[in-house]
Amino acid sequence: MKLVVMKFGGSCLTDGEGILMAARLVRDSSKRGVRVVAVASAMRGVTDRLLEMVEVALEGGNVTRRVEALRTDHVEAAHRAINDSEIRGEVEGTILMGISELEKVLTAIRHLGETTPRSRDYLLSFGERLSTPILWGSIKALGLEASWMTGGEAGIITDSSFGEARPLMENSRLQVGARLRPLLERGVIPVITGFIGEDLDRVITTLGRGGSDYTATIIGAILGADEVYLWTDVEGLMTADPKMVPDARVIKETSFEEAVEMAVFGAKRMHPRALVPAMKAGIPVIIKSLRNPKAEGTRITGEVKVGEGIVKAVTIVRGVGLLNVQGLGMIGMPGVAGRVCQLLGSSNINIFMISQSVSEANISLMISKDKLYQAESLIENALLGSGMITDVSVEEDVSVVAVVGAGMRGTPGTAARVFKAVASRGINIRMIAQGSSELNISLVVKEEDGEEAVRAIHQEFNLACAIM
Amino acid sequence: MRIILLGFGVVGRALARLLGEEGQRLARSQGIKPIVVGVADSLGAAYNQRGLNILEVLESKERHGTVSEHPKGIRGMTGLELLEVVYSDVVVEVTPTNLRDGEPGLTHIRETLKAGINVVTSNKGPLALAMPALIELAKYKGMVMRFSGTVGGGTPILDYGRRLLAGDYIEEMEGILNGTTNYILTRMTEGLGFQEALKEAQERGYAERDPSMDIEGLDSACKLVIMANYIMGLRATLKDVEIEGIRGISREKVADTRRRGYAVKLIASIRENRLRVEPREIPNRSPLCVWGVLNAVTFKCRRLGEQTVVGRGAGGVETALSIIRDLIEVKRSLTKALEG
Repeated sequence: MKLVVMKFGGSCLTDGEGILMAARLVRDSSKRGVRVVAVASAMRGVTDRLLEMVEVALEGGNVTRRVEALRTDHVEAAHRAINDSEIRGEVEGTILMGISELEKVLTAIRHLGETTPRSRDYLLSFGERLSTPILWGSIKALGLEASWMTGGEAGIITDSSFGEARPLMENSRLQVGARLRPLLERGVIPVITGFIGEDLDRVITTLGRGGSDYTATIIGAILGADEVYLWTDVEGLMTADPKMVPDARVIKETSFEEAVEMAVFGAKRMHPRALVPAMKAGIPVIIKSLRNPKAEGTRITGEVKVGEGIVKAVTIVRGVGLLNVQGLGMIGMPGVAGRVCQLLGSSNINIFMISQSVSEANISLMISKDKLYQAESLIENALLGSGMITDVSVEEDVSVVAVVGAGMRGTPGTAARVFKAVASRGINIRMIAQGSSELNISLVVKEEDGEEAVRAIHQEFNLACAIM
Repeated sequence: MRIILLGFGVVGRALARLLGEEGQRLARSQGIKPIVVGVADSLGAAYNQRGLNILEVLESKERHGTVSEHPKGIRGMTGLELLEVVYSDVVVEVTPTNLRDGEPGLTHIRETLKAGINVVTSNKGPLALAMPALIELAKYKGMVMRFSGTVGGGTPILDYGRRLLAGDYIEEMEGILNGTTNYILTRMTEGLGFQEALKEAQERGYAERDPSMDIEGLDSACKLVIMANYIMGLRATLKDVEIEGIRGISREKVADTRRRGYAVKLIASIRENRLRVEPREIPNRSPLCVWGVLNAVTFKCRRLGEQTVVGRGAGGVETALSIIRDLIEVKRSLTKALEG
């Protein structure tokens, strides 16, 4: 019997209507004889609202109105999504209990004037703990057997790095299997909170922003699911951002490697590690739109299909800046690049891209824009005047254009086509990086040229009508 | 090096001009690219994380009386708010000296150090009132706090004294630390009365409209406190200084002293851990006996004997230069801390 994991993102759980649509999808699959595990995110915007409440409480402010609004939104969603007064009553009870617990935590935070990563995780878990029972009620009201639980109750065990917990896969495997398999065999649909796990002491942890995708792939991998569906509000991964490139299309099929590159470069707000469990277990991940379930969406699989288009997608990364380190003193002096990277690393400044000319007289590094000036000062303070470097400067009006596609590997001339396409629009390339995996070519251009460069590459590789 | 300037009076503006003129050279010779990212005065602030055009900020100040009229300016924004919105390596604190409670300088310096930012200041108030605490705070936070401009203006008296300690002992220290009073006493030697001499000093811009800081000996006392802490390693504040000013000195007394081959000077001294500021007679031929607005300090060392440093004591450009020296020191400390 086919088994699928369906994760419903916050972007499509907008209100009761959204939750009802999700429940109907579960029912339809179930009716076709497919076993389903459902995973729910918090309703749209709720996690941000919870974070806001923490901030207000920390400053000693009153959160009563915000908590009240949260209660109303969830109760209303339950009314719309659950067409059975008895079940609705039960769900409402669960919501009210959750809300009163949330209030207690916020009061404690307000009195103490501090939070710990642990209490923050506990507080953030309420988003999923409020939405999931509504989805459960909605599914149950459609006449199916279902059971809801938190990620921890479902058996996801993590380490104790609150805020960005990592699953202990083998421990989780034992627990998740023991907990969920009997339910599935009895025809009960497990409805699980995304984003949340438990550490070995049974304390609630969270998997980081976008962690619900991760929950779905972890469970899918452990249960050996046939497919993992990530339902969202977009129709899948796109060849480019449609706001920038009007004829951008949904990519029908892509490999995990390519999808990871696209995720890193911001094609979808996905947890960076979310694809890993599915990739390891070889389980296809399908991204689809809840509003348009008939559309095919994007299928991410372990197979790399080269020859069906060299380039899969062109994306743009904003919010970055270029740090240029110059100096003839660097020529033939081993370790300068290492020193620069080490300095940045020790200040927790992440380097996205690095390129050095063969003459070694210049190193360019791409880093987050909000750390750019700190980085410049750091390099200046540590190295300028030492004779090793002669100047350090920043450029903040830049964007990275990333070209992704496994087909670039071993296809000579791809880079040349990319550069020619960009150059033909009169755009100057400030910096280039290509990893030896050849999955990705990244170019740095002036910020105002970014979108035009994306369009140029999109057109050059005919992404609007390529068959993929 | 990203710099926030708190205070935009005589010293702040002189520093801005100097940085504008010397920035390029500093980058070449000292490895410092000075970028002023924020300036605050009593009416508001201007900031830009990329760096302000400091000459434009100067122009706004001169034309409108405040930096907040600059295109990047915000009226009513305080120095402390500036610390929160813009990243900097060093805060230069040059607001006016206040000996009552040290504010706003004391809070500026405290919050800067607490935020993990280095401090350079020429403001005597906070140091005179709380120097041991500020030194402890800087040390605890691992930050550099430099203040050479507080004593001797452009003449590096503090570091000179500190250097003498390498292998020797300073047993006593005495000096003329205030140029205004020295000018008044010089003119009295030449026959003017106290009030006449004071009026002249005010007209020439040496003395403030309210000259009490200088003539009551408070300015000298502040500088003495800083020297006591920095050079002699004493934990002193302003209340530990016995102070007598020059207000009561008559023309006759000055003339009589002169006839005997001596001169009346306002002398600040540290002897056997005792800090004093008082008018004293010193021999005309003593190297300490300098005239006009000059300052002089004599260090009496156990082995090296007497060492006297003479130089112009105050002035915007002179103090601004000492701030530049301090910035170079900060940069050296940072480089050292980042090594290895």
